[in-house]
Amino acid sequence: MTSVGSGYDLYVSTYSPDGKIFQIDYANKAVENSGTCVAIRTKDGVILGVEKLVPSKMLEKSSNRRIHHIDTHIGVGISGFLADARQLITRARDEAKQYRQVYGQPIPIKVLSQRIASYNHVYTLYGSVRPFGCSLIITGIDQYGPQLYMVEPSGSCIGYFGTSMGKGKQAAKNEMEKIKFTEISTRDALKEVARIIHTVHDEVKDKDFELELGWISMTETNSVHQLVPQNLFEEAEAFAKAAIEEANQ
Amino acid sequence: MYRNHYDSDITTFSPSGRIHQIEYAMEAVKQGGAAVALKSKKFAILVSLKRSSSDLGSYQKKVFQVDDHVGIAISGLTADARMLCNYMRNECSNYDYVYESKIRIERLVTKVADKHQLHTQGYGGRPYGVGLLVAGYDQLGAHIYQTCPSGNFYNYKSISIGSRSQSAKTYLEKYFEQFEDCSLEQLIVHGLRALRETIPNSDTGLNSKNVAIGIVGENQPFKIIEEENAQPYLNLLENEEPVEMQI
Amino acid sequence: MQQHVSFPVFGQNDYFNYKNPQTLENRMPVVDAKKKTQDPIVTGTSVIAIKYNGGVVMGTDMLCSYGSLARFNSIQRMEKFGSYTIIGAGGELSDFQSLSNTLNDLVTLDHCIDDGSKLSPSEIYNYVARVMYNHRNKGDPLWNSLVVMGYQNGSSFLGKVDLVGTCFKDDIVCTGYGAHIALPLMRKAALDNPNMNLEQAKKLIEDCLRVLFYRDARSSKKIQISVANENGLEISEPIELDTYMWQSGEAAVKSFSQV
Repeated sequence: MTSVGSGYDLYVSTYSPDGKIFQIDYANKAVENSGTCVAIRTKDGVILGVEKLVPSKMLEKSSNRRIHHIDTHIGVGISGFLADARQLITRARDEAKQYRQVYGQPIPIKVLSQRIASYNHVYTLYGSVRPFGCSLIITGIDQYGPQLYMVEPSGSCIGYFGTSMGKGKQAAKNEMEKIKFTEISTRDALKEVARIIHTVHDEVKDKDFELELGWISMTETNSVHQLVPQNLFEEAEAFAKAAIEEANQ
Repeated sequence: MYRNHYDSDITTFSPSGRIHQIEYAMEAVKQGGAAVALKSKKFAILVSLKRSSSDLGSYQKKVFQVDDHVGIAISGLTADARMLCNYMRNECSNYDYVYESKIRIERLVTKVADKHQLHTQGYGGRPYGVGLLVAGYDQLGAHIYQTCPSGNFYNYKSISIGSRSQSAKTYLEKYFEQFEDCSLEQLIVHGLRALRETIPNSDTGLNSKNVAIGIVGENQPFKIIEEENAQPYLNLLENEEPVEMQI
Repeated sequence: MQQHVSFPVFGQNDYFNYKNPQTLENRMPVVDAKKKTQDPIVTGTSVIAIKYNGGVVMGTDMLCSYGSLARFNSIQRMEKFGSYTIIGAGGELSDFQSLSNTLNDLVTLDHCIDDGSKLSPSEIYNYVARVMYNHRNKGDPLWNSLVVMGYQNGSSFLGKVDLVGTCFKDDIVCTGYGAHIALPLMRKAALDNPNMNLEQAKKLIEDCLRVLFYRDARSSKKIQISVANENGLEISEPIELDTYMWQSGEAAVKSFSQV
């Protein structure tokens, strides 16, 4: 953080002398302080996994979900400020609804992602607001098949076969490079995502966490986004724990 | 050269990705009197410590009814809380008009939390300086939620907010696994004991003047118990007997 | 000139006052900014429904008329909303389609929240009633009579909402011509057999739709029957009602030609 300070980093409407907008970098920092979120796209679906950090043991299990549904065919994973993300989710649901009203068909994932990105971008233009302190991974199935996009505070919107964000994003990316996205089955990918989240979790810094898994698949879920059912969830988590134990030996 | 200049504006992230103004607003919550919330399967209750500014003044209201199935306890800026309470009452009333049924607690809390968030992203305003404990009962059971000035909210089994609430939290963390099967009376006594932990020894302690209890649950519309009605529960607290459960 | 009839027949109203073209005002259509839908164009007729022991059954025919012309003869007039509710509609088809879109948005949002609770039939019913009443207050009613039925957590729901926002719940609900012709038949059947089972209820609905086909000139014999019970929701495939053997008449007509 050598170029921090010197008064050029207080507002998103200010460039630094070397052409950076520091407030956007700082907003990205907020994302990187948050639990890891991983997504993998397979031939017939997309898997989302989130490392949900649990600050208190008195919290209910369902509290502070980080995977949400936008429309029946779209789900998002969140890293960063949950409160900010809720605004984006509300916006995304409105966009999906509006698209349906106008065109009479479900919104393509790319269109939705770009619209949310534009919305994010507007919050990087004016000193009177701050950027959103959260990134979204948007997953779904539309007429072009399974889709996976990541939208960041800067307003960028990029499609992926697999991606990650949050604390362990680099470690997760390293893990993901071993996966052959065109060959892996959705059920195997589910286990992989669970394994990656468990692998990148830092037990020293963050004690408790809860794994959250969401998926959408043409064969498994009839192209409806949902949280992974209990039995498959347990299977995936057991696989993850066994794989890590094996690696440690 | 500068003091920490990242902390004076709500629209400014610090280099570490934090927003200090939000965090300072969270501090305002800790200035208020303590409030405790806990629930069993069938009941959710709020127990709070009221303050008075002088011997001649009355005690500041801490527990508010929102609807028949929801109530809140507050800590922080009371005026902000009254606004939010009013908003929640309106939302309940609207939902009741449109659907002729009671709004789910989580959906209500999401709405107030979204309202909190809007005040954290624009220049020229400040975040709400109040934390709410929401106790409610709907078709999914009894619920306790905590909201923060940041716009976050949490679904708790039990929790405390306000000044010295850490002591109450310590108590709750020790006993919360027992709460699920508690009777309403046992629950209230647990709440009072947790609340008592937040009072410095030099103070007068809990009495019917400074305690307000809110209860809601199955076949139990939200009800505030205070003044002389709270005395029987305070008496139970002194006897200490009924809460000792064998597990 | 009659501006307004209860069962309006498209093409028979003298909208532009052609019959008295004396003055300029008479030739101009009278447009009041606040009055919007004055007449339905493409309309469905009766919806009839009854609770039985363990659920609800609803029936409609599949005709949508254009005035008195039997214009569309295979239109489904019942829709599922969520996992517990079916709504059947009579009146303006396009208004029902618009209402369906609104309700689907509502149900989709409810699905997305995914908190373990879903909108109940009575909540959807009340929402519909508010939508209808609000539209009516704007002077722009959705020209429908709607029957809302559902089954959730072991209890049946059946109610009716009309274009002015009037709503009520009952064990037997009929709209349009059905309210005049089918309702008394169904009430009698329910009185004679208070513990009707599914088969009996379906048979009753079918019989009533047959009577309606004989008596209501805007009805058809192609029908659908939907059921809400503990197995969920089901809307049947189109059913052709067995009706009077018209072929015998046909033979008579043929024999005329041979005379």
